[in-house]
Amino acid sequence: MPVFDQGYQHWSGTLSGHAWRWLAITRHGIRVALGNRWLKLALFVAWLPAIALAAVVCFWGLLEQQSALIQSLLPMLGFLDREMLLDPRAYRMEVWTLSYGYFMLTELRLAMVLILLVGPNLISQDLRYNALPLYLSRPLRRIDYFLGKWGVIVSFVGAVTVLPAIAAYVLGILFSLDVAIIKQTFPLLLASVCYGLIIAGSAGTLILALSALSRSSRYVAMFWLAVWIGSGVVSGVLLGIEHEARRHASRRLERGGSGGVTAPDVESTRADWRPLVSYTANLARVGEEMLGTPEAWDKLAKLRPGAERDMTRPRTSSAPTPWTWSAGVLAALFGLSVWILHRSVKSLDRLK
Amino acid sequence: MLFQFSNITKTYGDVTALDHLNLDVPEGAIGLLGPNGSGKTTMIRTLLGLVSVNEGSGRVLGKDFRRQQLEIRRDVGFAPEDECLFPHTVGVEFVAYAGELTGMRRTDALQRAHETLDYVGLGEARYRKVESYSTGMKQRLKLASAVVHDPKLLILDEPTNGMDPAGRQQILELARDLTMNKGMSLLFSSHLLPDVEAVCSYVIVLAGGKLLAQGEIAELKQVHRHAFEVRVKGDLALFAARLERAGCAVSEWGEILKVVLPAEASPQLIWAAAADAGEQIRHLRPQRSTLEEVFLSSLEQA
Repeated sequence: MPVFDQGYQHWSGTLSGHAWRWLAITRHGIRVALGNRWLKLALFVAWLPAIALAAVVCFWGLLEQQSALIQSLLPMLGFLDREMLLDPRAYRMEVWTLSYGYFMLTELRLAMVLILLVGPNLISQDLRYNALPLYLSRPLRRIDYFLGKWGVIVSFVGAVTVLPAIAAYVLGILFSLDVAIIKQTFPLLLASVCYGLIIAGSAGTLILALSALSRSSRYVAMFWLAVWIGSGVVSGVLLGIEHEARRHASRRLERGGSGGVTAPDVESTRADWRPLVSYTANLARVGEEMLGTPEAWDKLAKLRPGAERDMTRPRTSSAPTPWTWSAGVLAALFGLSVWILHRSVKSLDRLK
Repeated sequence: MLFQFSNITKTYGDVTALDHLNLDVPEGAIGLLGPNGSGKTTMIRTLLGLVSVNEGSGRVLGKDFRRQQLEIRRDVGFAPEDECLFPHTVGVEFVAYAGELTGMRRTDALQRAHETLDYVGLGEARYRKVESYSTGMKQRLKLASAVVHDPKLLILDEPTNGMDPAGRQQILELARDLTMNKGMSLLFSSHLLPDVEAVCSYVIVLAGGKLLAQGEIAELKQVHRHAFEVRVKGDLALFAARLERAGCAVSEWGEILKVVLPAEASPQLIWAAAADAGEQIRHLRPQRSTLEEVFLSSLEQA
């Protein structure tokens, strides 16, 4: 075929400014990622908890109105306290908070899967195919490149955390038919959105840093699994060892017959550092604090008699890790990720 | 002026890539010549504002390359030397993405991508994954993505490296068409002198980060006063022997004799030899330096 089938034509269109140039990279990244059918499946699965969340808040709205639509379902709500059923409006905030808490906790796990499918390719493939000169020789800065790649992760994670949270909120309000609900629950929506963005931002930066460490996406996927599952397993093992040690110490003291406050008791009231080893546990701990789930559990626990109370509050039964520690770990990981990106994705101002 | 460099120095640690470089380059097709490590790539990166220079100033297309890098890169199309690809894309997506990165709207970029792929002869392969392209196709793809936004200046860094003769010819034809017929300025970096000569009218010669020569190729290829190209109707070998007997140094280049006259002699000597031998001279002109000779003599002087 001859080269000059059609001659070169000049183009007289206008070029956009630089401010949103990173968006082109994000759009392209999303298009490429959506070519993966496993990702589409994961997105579908990740939206299922959103349906459950919307169903709960809508159901509670109908319950508040004593709607005839749900009267037939009331016998199935035996697991709820009688007081809650008699005055559902008084427990609205707690029900919403715990629903959002469980939703976010579930989405946190599913977001890790999404990131496993999307993230490893983002920078490692560009390094492998030497695409950086193509990016940086265009009117782009390195920060635009990072923002564009980061935007891909934030879009996908946001699509399964922030968007469903907002959608469920709107549906919940529509079903409650009470304007006062907005004033009461808006901080929860704000906290959910912020928490979704924190998950997306933290995990997005981390996977970009891991992706910049290798030209092989498989290795990056393994790094991610190590951060996500590996750190959780290590944390679990450390907690198990510590728990066993405390049990043994407790038995020894019982045999020794010492009364009053024991050393292990004192230990158990101290904050434990071991959960900090798990990346997802840190994200979950920050989420708990932002959404206010411990307080919601506390209020619901008061409805139960003493023996059942502790079972009602599984998460607050032992001394928790201070959320500030978890936030500190996440902040340190963020800083480390930014440093890795800065070191690994260099500008072209260097010798070949 | 296409670009100006004023006393530009760029070092990487102990290595001086550009050494007090001064340049004033007019618009047109510019060849950038130099051996490996001569500073060609650093000079291109300086033009694009991708490196921060240690010293000096300069302008590209009237813009300061130390302050207006993004504006310069918007007006320039660049096809890098190395094999580089946006992974997991088909040809048309690759070129459209390059356009979007430059600031084109998605619809404009896609339309333009189809046009430029047709232009470079990749229309048939536009929906193939770029990873499956041959070397020549990848070079043409890079060219298409460099011109997708219709730049004022096109920079091709070693565009014919590793290509077969047919592919090389296609790239040269495209470069020549863009610069001669479409009014696009071109900076053509290569160490292949015939390629530069085939496309460019102006040349810059670099070595060790220093400027060795620059100017119109036609002017650099100087006329030799005592060397001539001669073609005769009859036996070339016999005529060559006659010239040698007259004191000339003669070498045969196909149908042509390259004749160097003795000092103090004039071309009349060749006419006289032909008259004595009863030979018809069909071609007689002063010999010019080739670009290769210009290049080599520049290197020797350096």
